[in-house]
Amino acid sequence: MSKPAMQLVNLKKTIGNKPIIKGLDFEIRAGEVFGFLGPNGAGKTTTIRMMVGLIDITEGDVLIEGKSIKTDFKGAIQHVGAIVENPEMYPFLSGWKNLKQYARMVEGVTDERIKEVVSLVGLEKAIHEKAGRYSLGMRQRLGIAQALLHGPSILILDEPTNGLDPSGIREIRKYIRNLAEKENVAVIVSSHLLTEIELMCDRIGVIKNGELIAIEEVQTVEHEEALKEVYIEVEPMETAKVYLDSHLENGVGVGSKELSMSVKREEIPQILKNLMEQGISIYGVRVLQATLEDKFFDLIGENSIE
Amino acid sequence: MSNFMKLIWNEQIKLYAKKATWVMFAVILVIAIGGGLITKFFGTESDFKEYGDNWQTELQAENEQLMAEMADDEFAGFTNEFIIAENNYHLENNIKPQPYDGWEYVLDNSFLTSVISLFTIIVAAGIISNEFKWGTIKLLLIRPISRTKILFSKYVSVLIFALTLLVFLLLSSWLVGALLFGLNGLNPMVVQDMMPGYAHNDVLGEIAKSYGFSIVTLVMMATFAFMISAIFRSSGMAIGLAIFLMMAGNTIVAFLSQYEWSKFILFANTNLEQYTNGMEPTIPGMSMTFSIIVLLVYFAIFIGAAWAAFTKRDVAGN
Repeated sequence: MSKPAMQLVNLKKTIGNKPIIKGLDFEIRAGEVFGFLGPNGAGKTTTIRMMVGLIDITEGDVLIEGKSIKTDFKGAIQHVGAIVENPEMYPFLSGWKNLKQYARMVEGVTDERIKEVVSLVGLEKAIHEKAGRYSLGMRQRLGIAQALLHGPSILILDEPTNGLDPSGIREIRKYIRNLAEKENVAVIVSSHLLTEIELMCDRIGVIKNGELIAIEEVQTVEHEEALKEVYIEVEPMETAKVYLDSHLENGVGVGSKELSMSVKREEIPQILKNLMEQGISIYGVRVLQATLEDKFFDLIGENSIE
Repeated sequence: MSNFMKLIWNEQIKLYAKKATWVMFAVILVIAIGGGLITKFFGTESDFKEYGDNWQTELQAENEQLMAEMADDEFAGFTNEFIIAENNYHLENNIKPQPYDGWEYVLDNSFLTSVISLFTIIVAAGIISNEFKWGTIKLLLIRPISRTKILFSKYVSVLIFALTLLVFLLLSSWLVGALLFGLNGLNPMVVQDMMPGYAHNDVLGEIAKSYGFSIVTLVMMATFAFMISAIFRSSGMAIGLAIFLMMAGNTIVAFLSQYEWSKFILFANTNLEQYTNGMEPTIPGMSMTFSIIVLLVYFAIFIGAAWAAFTKRDVAGN
């Protein structure tokens, strides 16, 4: 496992007497896409603002490549590219001139680099138009370009697919995966849309009311060992139930038309074969995929803000 | 280019990318041309009169004629008296009167520095608050540059803008003046009404003094607007408050002049010209040194407050 690109150490934010963020502890590794998931008002943006030093940290710290954002702001922030909330640009400047503004604020960003980034986000055609005329999707791309200019090792994107059309979303997703896998960038993506995050992230941190309530690895390859809920529609049901009860450890449940059971994936063919040999007719088999969405809603419960 | 210079460069690009900035320059040009044309075609005739070798006789004849006019028409007295007094100053000190020229026009236009103050206030009020309004402040403050540096690059940018406007005013006034009235040499002497009395000074020195003193108000009010902009993150409030105070400043001082502490009011001190030419200061007991110290204290407070507000506060909800 690679060293953490960013570490949150007991990160807290209190505004007035109200604790907004109640002690976040997690790390993001180089080369992974980390999804920061939570309902609106859970504290995603506040956390991101603390990560980039826009707001003060009440307690704890954020370490970026080992450097504290509190005590070594410049040392820490130089590794970060970010979009915080909406990708806002100077509306009266062209996309190109907007990027030049940010290029002048760091060392060593050449015009060639800007062109490279612009073509990466696919904005070549509109780059000399005023940013005020851009659609939200184009501004999103310009925002990502701005964040990538100086070749950061950590990229923070707040709701990056907001306002993009489906093909744009797919492109950005592909691009984010690419950055993580090929250039070893740690990408933090915040979203309240689970399906989005599920498709592009390696790990997901779920935040609710300022607390991290779960960190999950996204399983891209199905584990052979995991038990699955399998439903089989059989005739006659009684014979099948008696047979299966005597052969399966966990027993079977009886539905209106189906029998349900928890078995490993590799066991399914044998079970079906045995049932047929017993003269039982099988009309259908379905395997229930426990999706992240189910887990998410179990964890979050209602979308309530305390 | 150094880091700080690049930041200033960025600010200047943003400034000149906006139409409003160009309108400011256009307004100054229009006033310079308009004022020149008005002076040329509606100005006092005697100002443009060219005198010959025996100018003394000419002046005396002029005076007699003016006296005669005054006897006929009691309303002519107001302007005529001034012309006679000025003519007498020329005769007594043996100074040949010269016609109104471009240099004098530049000097007369020094009142336009208040327009520059106004424009500078508008720019100073917007340079921080606009970043909040546009939301770009978030992108500005997540670069490896300290907030202090960003703040001062913006402040210096405001001063550069004021200086640019000032140079533009000087140049356009001089060009319009030279074209319409001609020039009496490179640095001619001018006779000025000091109220009371007259003085004979070289014009470049007078221009430097007149514009120079007005810069004090300009810088103080721009710094004030800059501070308000940094604290409240709203340009409307900064513009409104700064312009109101600039306009009402003298009235406030006059209103409160009965109190001893009124000499510590900013506006009692911004006009350093009150200590020159043997004039009486607004409030007795004040001196040039006193005013400069008071101004420096205000300046330090404005900058300090702007700095504290900009570097210490959270950037949330923008």
